[in-house]
Amino acid sequence: MPPIDCEDQELLDGFLAETTELLEKLDDDLITLEKTSDDTDLMNRIFRSIHTIKGASSFLGFDLLVKVAHKTEDVLNRLRKGELIVTSDIMDVILEATDLIKLLVSDIKAGDIQERETDGTINKLLPFLAESAGAQQRAAQPPAQPAAPSVDAAPSADIQTPPASEPAQSPEVPEPSADAAPVAPIPPSSVPVPKPASEAAPKKAPAPPKPAEGKGDDLSDNSTVRVDVKRLDDLMNQVGELVLERNRMIQINQDLQQNDANRADFNEEFGKLTKRMSFVTSELQMQVLKMRMIPVEKVFKKFPRIVRSMSRDLGKEVELVIIGEETELDRSVVDEIGDPLIHLIRNAMDHGLETPDERTAAGKTRGGTLVLAAVHEGNQIIISIKDDGRGIDTERVGRKAIEKGLITEEQFAAMGQREVFDLLFLPGFSTKEKTTDLSGRGVGMDVVKTNIKKLNGLIEIKSTKGLGSEFILRLPLTLAIIQSLLVEVEGEIYSIPLSSVLETIRVDQRQFHLIGGQEVLKLRDIVLPLIRLQRVFNVQPQGEADNFCYVVVVGAAEKRMGLVVTRLVGQQEVAIKSLGNYLANIPGIAGSTILGDGRVALIIDPVAMSEGCE
Amino acid sequence: MQNALVPVKTDNTHDELIQLVSFNLDQEEYGVDVLKVREIIRMPIVTRVPNTPHYVEGVINLRGKVVPIICMRKKFGLIESENDKQTRIMVMDMEGELMGFIVDAVSEVIRISGSEIQPSPAVVAGGIDQECIAGVINQAERLLVLLNLEKMFSRDEKNLFTGM
Repeated sequence: MPPIDCEDQELLDGFLAETTELLEKLDDDLITLEKTSDDTDLMNRIFRSIHTIKGASSFLGFDLLVKVAHKTEDVLNRLRKGELIVTSDIMDVILEATDLIKLLVSDIKAGDIQERETDGTINKLLPFLAESAGAQQRAAQPPAQPAAPSVDAAPSADIQTPPASEPAQSPEVPEPSADAAPVAPIPPSSVPVPKPASEAAPKKAPAPPKPAEGKGDDLSDNSTVRVDVKRLDDLMNQVGELVLERNRMIQINQDLQQNDANRADFNEEFGKLTKRMSFVTSELQMQVLKMRMIPVEKVFKKFPRIVRSMSRDLGKEVELVIIGEETELDRSVVDEIGDPLIHLIRNAMDHGLETPDERTAAGKTRGGTLVLAAVHEGNQIIISIKDDGRGIDTERVGRKAIEKGLITEEQFAAMGQREVFDLLFLPGFSTKEKTTDLSGRGVGMDVVKTNIKKLNGLIEIKSTKGLGSEFILRLPLTLAIIQSLLVEVEGEIYSIPLSSVLETIRVDQRQFHLIGGQEVLKLRDIVLPLIRLQRVFNVQPQGEADNFCYVVVVGAAEKRMGLVVTRLVGQQEVAIKSLGNYLANIPGIAGSTILGDGRVALIIDPVAMSEGCE
Repeated sequence: MQNALVPVKTDNTHDELIQLVSFNLDQEEYGVDVLKVREIIRMPIVTRVPNTPHYVEGVINLRGKVVPIICMRKKFGLIESENDKQTRIMVMDMEGELMGFIVDAVSEVIRISGSEIQPSPAVVAGGIDQECIAGVINQAERLLVLLNLEKMFSRDEKNLFTGM
């Protein structure tokens, strides 16, 4: 295969963006198709997607990709014409081919094309292309479908079509293979020969036996955005408003300079202007935020596929119900929640739901239900993963934790249900006796916790033994603009994300106690470890030390601590600015923001703080 | 931006004209490629950033962008001095990221031909890292040290910034 010598980078980028989008949709469509095999629109859509991919890649000269896409298209074409019936066997092979295509595309994206083993998958596709395949299937399934065997070989003509003509016609023309048919002589009874496959055979390099799993998954790319034209128009309107206000401002300034306006007039005019400006900017802020929003569907749509393959592997019958996939949230959040959700779904499938026999014995329906729901609540999004499986056995979790030496008997005895559930998040904790390739290593929940923490989110577990469990994730809608509490530490201003602030108190420093070198404060019934920001950030003390200071109680995931500051400044909505590469990863600092007076204030990262004080 | 580097890097052609911004630091004169300099500004309010190397003065707000500021005197191990009316921040493009450098004064933009750049003498006194000295320009009544600021931070220092 030639290296990527695409002189036209733009063309390649366009291809990658389009293909990625099509592939993302494809998985979901294929799973839906398996359930509703008589949906012709869906069928045609799938066919068109594959055809577009094939056309575009042949135009750009990605031979391997063309080969796989072509064979897949052939099979789909037969399905479309009703010569084959959608069965899970066919779907398996088609899904495998789709995975292979993803892998190949990700190779192209990475810029290094490798010789991948494609014959294996192609060979699996071939039997379905054989003349007899349809007949056999029809024999196996009495209600015969109307067949049109004479056109069988038509798609094989496709490969000889000049590649350049393909992309031009592919997006619009729904049935291009039929177009191509008259061009090539059709040997009426011949089985489509896997010609390209045999060509490729000699140059087959020692490729990895199985396409690296998971590599195709990270295809999704967030470097380009598609924005609704309406939103763009709205944005333009707002910008227009802003320009008007600016002109107004210039005018007021001029009047003032020329002393045309008296003081009272100016005050009034300026006050009005400020109000309008603040209105327009907050509108603008909302608009831009909205543009950054993408439906959570982007993450959700890969789950039907995962659930399908897992339920087969585990021998469980699972119905996945997805609710609220149109709920929108910020791109940055969407990028981060994929992994935690996969872990939670795996957990629910593996630990939560029972096998059909167990379920029948427990008096439930044979098939389990897994509900994945997303909903907005205030400025948070709530994602819940709920199963109707066996629920969390607190007794068993506790015993396991004792066995692993994570807690003592006494500790367990004193624990409430909530605390026991928290044990699940400990790294290395697993109730599984055996580690399988699905779960049991005790990493999953730790990953979930870390990722959610990173997003300033919270996790809540609800579970009733025997009835099922529910994992609820509460996430902020956006990471770009946050509510924050501004505090002063000896003259320097810092900002603390309000989402992690639980309360603020004014205390006398003489109430602080010292336990093992750690300053603590007795706050009602808890002992709060204290961190003096002045010390952590090496701020030079200014003037007289005051006995009174403020303690900001912050919580990160399940931990709590108090940050000692000199003064509270107030609450403000701030836009997060990165500190750039050079100053990334300063312990305790999450980023920076610009205050109303133009100064830069640093944003404190309570999560890192809490880890620092461990 | 990378193309901008070409005249300085391939100075084997020796007669290409190079434009340099010259600035002062503790009585010495230095020069940097003009194409690397984004802008030159007066000292704004600098926000200190805790737990960073001593020569990181902090960050400033440059029209909505947060830009780290390095004190050249501290970085080069020179005696610190009070900021005065002449003190400037040179905002430079460092491999795609903006970074500001505090210098005593910025004097002028000068044109020199590539052939005037001599390799730096083997031993240069003071704390300036040899790495970032691209050469010395010896003109009639002045001596200019040509700096390559992209080499200013050693690998270790870069790791320090990002791996702390």
